[in-house]
Order: sequence, then structure tokens, then C-alpha cells
Amino acid sequence: MSEWQPRILAILCNWCSYAGADLAGVSRIQYPPNIRVVRVPCSGRVDPLFILKSLQAGFDGVLVSGCHPGDCHYISGNYVARRRFAILKPLLEFVGIEPDRVQFSWISAGEGERFATVVTKVVEDVRKLGPSKRIVKKA
Amino acid sequence: MISGEEERMDAAGIPYMIRPGKGPEGSVLDLLGQLIGSGGADALLLPFRVPSGDSFAWIMFSDVSLLKDAVPFPATMPVQGGRALRSLTRKEKGKLRIIALMRPCEIRAGMELSKLGQVNTENLILASYDCPGAVKLEDYVADPVSCDSAHSEMRSRGEPSGNARSACSTCVDFSMVDADIHFGYFGIKDGGMLVLPGSPAGRALLEGLNLEEGRGLLPQWEAEISRLAERRAATREETFRETAERISGFDGMLATFSNCIGCHNCQSACPICYCRLCYFDSEVSRTDPEALITAAEKRGGISIPPDRIMFHTGRLAHMSLSCVSCGQCSDACPVSIPVADVFSFVAERTQRAFDYKSGRSDGEALPLRRFLKNELDGVHEMVKDAESEASPNE
Repeated sequence: MSEWQPRILAILCNWCSYAGADLAGVSRIQYPPNIRVVRVPCSGRVDPLFILKSLQAGFDGVLVSGCHPGDCHYISGNYVARRRFAILKPLLEFVGIEPDRVQFSWISAGEGERFATVVTKVVEDVRKLGPSKRIVKKA
Repeated sequence: MISGEEERMDAAGIPYMIRPGKGPEGSVLDLLGQLIGSGGADALLLPFRVPSGDSFAWIMFSDVSLLKDAVPFPATMPVQGGRALRSLTRKEKGKLRIIALMRPCEIRAGMELSKLGQVNTENLILASYDCPGAVKLEDYVADPVSCDSAHSEMRSRGEPSGNARSACSTCVDFSMVDADIHFGYFGIKDGGMLVLPGSPAGRALLEGLNLEEGRGLLPQWEAEISRLAERRAATREETFRETAERISGFDGMLATFSNCIGCHNCQSACPICYCRLCYFDSEVSRTDPEALITAAEKRGGISIPPDRIMFHTGRLAHMSLSCVSCGQCSDACPVSIPVADVFSFVAERTQRAFDYKSGRSDGEALPLRRFLKNELDGVHEMVKDAESEASPNE
């Protein structure tokens, strides 16, 4: 298979989205194999630098997913995460990273199917954009 | 001046005045000496000229005979006052009650640090003054004498001149900030000065001093401050427009930061950057050699070391909400990158997104320490399409 495949880092919170991914697997729901999952305790744990670093390290896209607002295991971690991403997002666009490369979503532990849908959507978005050439340096 | 400001002033107490005679510098030192003498405070924190004559240092002292050597309005800002406050109170409130005389941006940095748990303002009396701007360190070290006269000229006009920091020309918070006492002298004829209490603590201190009531001077000072603020706001807009053009897109960002030598001086000089170990100085931030080779193969070439843009973008993501636009970063840059212009520009936007303004009194929580349940729907709107396609019973 020589055709280019996007590589996407999925940073998932332990309590909702990771369990959602698990449910997708247990339920044998099909989704593209382009993601690499990192489990974090909470989406509030995700420092904007994690996202920058993964893009710099060569990932073509990043998906960050946590519990739905109001469902956070730590009460408010995802609200804080949302504020943090609200700053990061325009900043990324500003430095010239296509907005579709970095996406955020809420997926609960019961939403296996939605996990598959979201991953499919993100993979397709990034595939359209092509390989990430930025952040490190233009070739 | 804006009416909110007046209300706050009234709440804090009536303005006092000092008659012309000694000029703003002498009057400020006199008054600080009286405050120590009256037992209102234990010590002062003021800038002094260093022995080599080409810089200033923060000195904390209680011996009023030293006052005559202090430089209340130094021409440069070698160490940001917020940092000085932090070294005194980072663990708990200071044992001594200290009066610190600082530029408005230094006090704003102190306020941000207090919200970050790095400064304890409980035993501090913060005094600010009308600031015309600071001369670039580089220029000052080269020629202190002419820079001093340039700065005194800046003070009499109330405006930054050619060798002032760019951050100062675009600063609109150069006068009264959330300090306990403010010394206002812009626009007041014959070297008279207003002494404005900004908090109950400041009022209590000043009430004991038998100062003359100064409402009469208020209108001319307020008129001058708003005139100057308007002019600086215009420069600010112009500089922001240029900055936006310069750094827009990856190529612009790369062009702006391409001569960065990675010394991280901007980070060390920044009053707000306080982490004991910065991610960018840690081992995990270093890219694995294997990964560099893979990246080089994939992209045809990479710059080494690879972290320049990431460092600055990362610092923007971490610090722009608390950036007080003091300009320390630009001053510390050995290759003259306009770091502060970029930071001020981005900071204004990120702070506006949360209706926040850095440097206001420490009663207001940092944007990342609070949240609303219903806000920022746009953050995850990218995958909303996918969500609506998902089955409804999930």
C-alpha cells in the first residue's frame, strides 16, 4: 500500500472517550485505522504543547476528545479544556496550520458508534488536506 | 477620564496634591520617607542606580537616609518589578510591610502573579506613577547620560520617544492602575503632583500625612491622560496592523522568528513565565534524533534544532492570557526580534475572547481558572456534522 495514509493522534480522556473507543471496538464497529490513541486522565490534562509537539513530530492531525460538558469525572476538567482549546485554535490558524488538522469533540463512554463517526470524519478531513508539512519547516 | 475610574477613586478616597517645588521625583521620595517615618510601612522597594552607572537595581531598605540615592522614575526597566515582588512574597505574605514604587506594567505583572499564586499582595503597598515609557536597555547601556536626558524629556512630555521600547509606544495603561497609591504628574503645570489613593489601604496611609486636598488638579491631569492615551491607542492600532501583516501565516511567523538563536532570554525575562522547570528546557521537549531523521526524509529537509516556532507558539498559548505587554521580552532579545509586538498583538485577542484584561486587581480570576457551562460552542463545531449524523439514541 503505497498510497499516503494520514496519521492522526487521538488524545482521549480515560473516563468517557477512551471508554467510547473501547465500546466501538467491543461492538466491532468499523472505523479507519489511522489513529494512534493516547489515554489521558482528563481532557483538562491536555496542554496545548502536546498538540503542537505532535504536529511537529510528524502527525498529520490531532483529535482531542473528552467527556460531554457536565459529565466530567473531575467535575470541571473539560470546561477548562474547552477554554484552553478556544485559545489554541485561532493561534494554530494564525501560524498557518489548517483548522481541520486539530479537532476537538465530546464522546461519552456509551457512544461507541459516535466515536467511529467522529474518527471517520476527522480522518477524511485530514486526508483532504494531505500530509502535514508545517510546524517543522517547509520542505 | 472614564467615569468608572472616578467612582473607584471616590470610593478609595479623595485625591491629595503636593505643591510644586521639588518636582515629581523629589516629591515622591519625600512622601515615601514620610510614610516610613509615620510607621505606615516597614520598608521601601525602589530602584537604585548600579555602581557602573548604566543600569538600575531593586533595593529594599528601611533606612530613610538612603532615600536620596534612589531613582524613583528610572529610564530603563532591567528587572521587571513583578519579579522583584515575587522574590519577596512567593512563599507567603511578607513579614515586613513594604511599599514598592513601580511602573504601571510592573504592578500589573504583580497582579497577574498574585492570581497565579506567585505573589502575595497582603503586606504590600503598591505605588504607581505616570509612566512615559522605558528606554531600550541596549541604548541605555551604550549611553546612559543622553538616555537619562531623553527620558526626562519623555517625562515632561508624557510620551515615549525614539529610543523607548516599542511596547511603551503602544501602551495604553501607563497611568493609574489597580495600585494602592498613584502619583499623577502628567499635564500638571509647574511640577505639582497629584497623590491618588487607589485602595482603602492606600487611603489609610495617606490620611495620616496631612496632605493638601487636590481635587483642583484633577481635571487638568485627567484631560492630559486621556489625550496621551488616545495618541498611544492610535500607535497601538498601527503597530498591531503591521504586526498582523508581518506574522500572518506560517511563512510570516517563520520570517519573524527565523533569526531566533534559541537562547530563551524572552522567557527568562518575562515576569509572568514562572514555572520552575519549563517544558521547553526539559528533556522531554528534545526531539529524538531518529524522529528528526524520519522527519527530514519525509519532508526533504528540516531546520535543526527544530523548536523555534514551536517555542514561541507554545509560549503564546501558555502566557498570552496574562501578558501585560511590558516589553521585557523584546528588550532581552539579543537579535532584536519584536517578540513583545507579537505577544501584545496576540494577547489582546486571546484576552478579549474571555472578556479579560490582564493586570487588574487580584479579585478577578484568571480565564483558565473559571468557566461558564454554556460557552464556546464553536470549539468543537468541526465535528458537529459528525455528531448530528450519529444515531439519536446515543
